[in-house]
Amino acid sequence: MAKETSKLAKKEERMAFWLLVPSLLLLLIIAIYPLGRVFQLSFTNKRFASSQQVSYLGFKNYSQLLSMTIRELPKKLDDDGKAILKDGKVVYESWVRVLPRKPQRYKAVNQFSFLGKRYVLGATNADFIQSIIDTVNFTIITVLLETILGLIIALALAKKFIGRGLMRTAMLIPWAIITVVSSLIWEWMLKSDRSGFFNAFFDAIGITQGNTVFLVDKALQLPSIIAIDVWKTTPFMALLLLAGLATIPKELYEAAEVDGANKIRQFFSITLPLLAPTLTVALIFRTLDALRVFDLFQIIFGEKRYSMATFTQFTLVANKDMGLSSAASVIIFFIIFLFAMFYIRTLKVDADG
Amino acid sequence: MKKFSLILLVILFGLATAQQVTINYVTGNRGADVEYANAMAAKYMSTHPNVTIKVLQGPESATDRAQQYLQFFEAKSSEVDIFEIDVIWPGDMAEHFIDLYQYESFQDAAQGFFPAIIENNTVDGKLVAIPYFTDAGLLFYRTDLLEKYGFSSAPTTWAELDNMASVIQAGERADGNQDFWGYVWQGNAYEGLTCDALEWVASSNGGTIVSPAGEITINNPNAIAALETAKGWVGTISPPGVTGYQEEDARNAWHAGNAAFMRNWPYAYGLTLDGPVGENFSISALPSTEGGNSAATLGGWQLAVSKYSKNPAVAADFVLFLSSHEGQLSRALVQSNLPTRPAVYTDPALLNSDVAFMANFLPVFRAAVARPSTATAPNYLQTSKLFYSAVHNVLTGEESATDALALLELDLQDLTGLPIAGQ
Repeated sequence: MAKETSKLAKKEERMAFWLLVPSLLLLLIIAIYPLGRVFQLSFTNKRFASSQQVSYLGFKNYSQLLSMTIRELPKKLDDDGKAILKDGKVVYESWVRVLPRKPQRYKAVNQFSFLGKRYVLGATNADFIQSIIDTVNFTIITVLLETILGLIIALALAKKFIGRGLMRTAMLIPWAIITVVSSLIWEWMLKSDRSGFFNAFFDAIGITQGNTVFLVDKALQLPSIIAIDVWKTTPFMALLLLAGLATIPKELYEAAEVDGANKIRQFFSITLPLLAPTLTVALIFRTLDALRVFDLFQIIFGEKRYSMATFTQFTLVANKDMGLSSAASVIIFFIIFLFAMFYIRTLKVDADG
Repeated sequence: MKKFSLILLVILFGLATAQQVTINYVTGNRGADVEYANAMAAKYMSTHPNVTIKVLQGPESATDRAQQYLQFFEAKSSEVDIFEIDVIWPGDMAEHFIDLYQYESFQDAAQGFFPAIIENNTVDGKLVAIPYFTDAGLLFYRTDLLEKYGFSSAPTTWAELDNMASVIQAGERADGNQDFWGYVWQGNAYEGLTCDALEWVASSNGGTIVSPAGEITINNPNAIAALETAKGWVGTISPPGVTGYQEEDARNAWHAGNAAFMRNWPYAYGLTLDGPVGENFSISALPSTEGGNSAATLGGWQLAVSKYSKNPAVAADFVLFLSSHEGQLSRALVQSNLPTRPAVYTDPALLNSDVAFMANFLPVFRAAVARPSTATAPNYLQTSKLFYSAVHNVLTGEESATDALALLELDLQDLTGLPIAGQ
């Protein structure tokens, strides 16, 4: 009897294997082959839309993208060796003199002060490093804002009130509008003169003259695009969290009321712990999405400010550098992979639980 | 007999259907341009019933269009037959277009165009595109406002322009127009900024970024001064948002009557006549510095036939139709685009129309300054990107002109391998 079962079991295993082969083949063609090709191209100097000879470069593309250095900026001294002051502030040497030039030229990404000294972060591809910094900042802030706002909206919509059905539908509108359309609408609203809504509004209430250049001013670029993304994606988070809230049994709250716990205590002791699995899923979704942000940056900023994904695109098409852009894609893949691993470890996402 | 006639019928039917050809033609996406393209396509289709011409809209910005085209070329796509290409692209994109000289009709027709543009479009002896219309940057100015504030004629130097613009702006603001600015131009980080900046630099004796002989000349005191002058306009006589302006943004401000001066291409002429400003404006050559010569960047678009097209002969024929004398005349009258055939400038139909100014400005267009696309081919697009990024950093105040041009010189050398002038 046992022998027959194991023979049957083996037969089923083999059949299962053969049934899986078509899907594996499909996966190979659609996913593994293109990925492998990108990986292969990243070691070459292939050019886009060109019949130029392709040659093998080894890790040159990677070193071009990732070489970074931190150098100290010395203070500018006059002939006596005393520090020169401009408007009362110390002046530092220009980074052009400090960053290395051979074998590759380093450009400044950022300057910062630490323990009283000034440092400059240099990179051979300052655009790429800046795009990574910008995208990670963008991700952290948007995910934080969207989770908090989404949770507030979900909590509000969990209670019964007149017009709740209407509110739930209305809440989805920003997320339902096509990204291209809503980005263009926001671009018009952020226009730099009073034909743009925000400038007209700020001018009307007297804060500014109505000439703020939201999309060119380096300090205002990220906040503007974060605002657009939060407006667009908070409904998505709210929807996920609403679904999660619906799974919490009402009896727990009733029991808590009886025990004398106030609303805040209830939230932290009942709602949050039981919402944790849904929150985890929502966070992972949003973070990985935000790290891959492309359409928003391409429409609003074009080549003025890159995200990791638009950097890859513009390197490919504008600079016609397919090899470098493939290397950038591989690096971005690893960065996103790291984030995913970090989430899975810290939030203890259990595949079998 | 019956069998024979049947076979004949089938063959004729086959020939007839085989002749039904669809040509896809990519143009820009400005409303007037698309309308015009459709009108011309309809005209051609009425005399060639077996041809269907589809007009496709490409992105507005020249930079975006170049990228769009490159994607078609990478895929070796036969989806588009005719490409409208900028005057600076033949060098970079030559390998993807057919040689129009292989058709006798073009060998004859090429004589009728401006030789300089034909030369621009000839790469290694191949004529890769036929000139469609040419363009040069012009200064538009409000004649009524100049009169109102006591100025007798258009400015000839940048300093004069600055002065006039400040006076007019202050006056109009005092009169209650809060949105009025003196001078609008294109300052966004894209190809259009290369055009504007080249005009500032060339008109200040600062060279043309890379000389035709192939030397990098951009890092010189005149060029530095020119960029600093332009930086001085941002926020004073030009809106702070000018660093985000493309052609249409500048034209919108001008069209609404909120600018005294505008730098733009001739296409804006006809559109302004149709708007609130009406006839209260005129055009002149752009200013220069004292001792410099006015410089207008050479623009213009050409028509090229894709190497991957399935019907190159038919596409080439339509191209010839669009760029014929009649086609160019109608383009000038309807779209205010400058013809590329000298004969059109002496045609009475043009001289008696609203756009007769074209004939008067022929010397300006003939002397237009070309961007260094030939000297830096096939890397012109990246050269331009380095240049306009550097200029944009100066305009936004992120870099000083001295630093920006010094770095630009090194970057250009890394990219093109060309020598730096004077080294």
